[in-house]
Amino acid sequence: MYEPVIEARGLSKDFGQGAVLDGLDLTVAQGSFYGLLGRNGAGKTTLLRLLMGLQTPNAGEALILGKTIITAGESHRARVAYVSQNQTLHPQLSAEELAEYVAHFYPKWDAAYAHRLAGRLEVPWTQRWSELSGGQQRKVGLLLALAARPEVLLLDEPAAGLDPVARRELLEELIDLLLEGDGCTVLFSTHILSDLERPADTIGVLAEGRMLLSQPTEVLQSQARRVQAVFPGDVPDDLMLAGAWRSHRDGRVYQAILGLESDDQLAPLRKAGATVDVFPMDLEELFIELVGKRSLSTDQV
Amino acid sequence: MSWNVHLRVDPGSGVPVYRQLMNQIRYYVSSGAIATGDQLPSIRDLARGLGVNPTTVVKAYSELENEGFLDRQQGRGVFIADQARTQSSADFDRALRDSARQLVVEATQLGIDVERVVNLVRLEYQRAGKDATRDRGHQHV
Repeated sequence: MYEPVIEARGLSKDFGQGAVLDGLDLTVAQGSFYGLLGRNGAGKTTLLRLLMGLQTPNAGEALILGKTIITAGESHRARVAYVSQNQTLHPQLSAEELAEYVAHFYPKWDAAYAHRLAGRLEVPWTQRWSELSGGQQRKVGLLLALAARPEVLLLDEPAAGLDPVARRELLEELIDLLLEGDGCTVLFSTHILSDLERPADTIGVLAEGRMLLSQPTEVLQSQARRVQAVFPGDVPDDLMLAGAWRSHRDGRVYQAILGLESDDQLAPLRKAGATVDVFPMDLEELFIELVGKRSLSTDQV
Repeated sequence: MSWNVHLRVDPGSGVPVYRQLMNQIRYYVSSGAIATGDQLPSIRDLARGLGVNPTTVVKAYSELENEGFLDRQQGRGVFIADQARTQSSADFDRALRDSARQLVVEATQLGIDVERVVNLVRLEYQRAGKDATRDRGHQHV
């Protein structure tokens, strides 16, 4: 039976100041590199923490490899690795000692790989964790997660605090991970869009406690478009465009952000005699249009 | 000869990355920069080099293989197929037919005649040509 590797159903979490997650549904397929995008405070960290069982939801369920991680056994948990945003490791231990310690929890721990990673990511191997820079500390956490050879890897803003060279090295390591036999499934949260445009095969946008969009990257790249139509007179009141995620009208000008699957979607514009321009959008534009405008309109309510 | 020309991808161009890779490989074959029997980079090397998901490279290679453009040899690697050169021009036509159709639809709706459309295309060509020569100057290693 087909089962998604990561699944959230109707997931809600409220810390007492309004819902952070509000009936969120998410599915991540096996072997996928899923890029979770959202603004700061959108709830990305909360989602990952709920998936890892570090917090309990007010409603709904969060499953990894078909089970709630908190009630699953130790062997199940060892198939999953997680790097949190502000991970604190034992300050007195070196990367080498931390690796030795962590190895006990992961049956598939790969000591040789940990060593190679330390070289490739330029992680000081014998220096105490507390003496490392922020970026180096971050890399130790990533190294420990990768060397556990997990089937599922959850990364919360993993590239934050890394310089461009280190980001690139991390990306290359993740690409290698995707190429390996069983096909690790990666869920990667970030607010930095360029981290995802190339490696992610699926991109999800988290806003207002839900997945606003969750699509194969390829579909977003080939279909996300900005459409501008200038009408001879005012934009018709009853104008509706199929597939529009957002639209805006101002006098004679109508603009929409949409998933353009077929030219037929633009027929209502052309029938009304509008001059139509279609522009490709990169993820950043799409994200700003989807998330930025939405929060603006909410503020105005 | 193993293959070492430059490939690049622009995730924001509105064209899926695997298609960009397919088009660039076709371009290199039709321009003669690479020829039958040349070896392409491994999936891993190309994915790492471009920072893209390996499945993107797999998809580009598989589609080109299905078209008879590439030849995957078990354990040896991926090579430009024998018939690639003769195929490339037909493939180019096919790759652009949808865009051409779209252009014609929009042009007729806007009442632009074919001469003006051709002129517009020519202008775009000149502009792209300038960029392309600048880019390609250092690509053949």
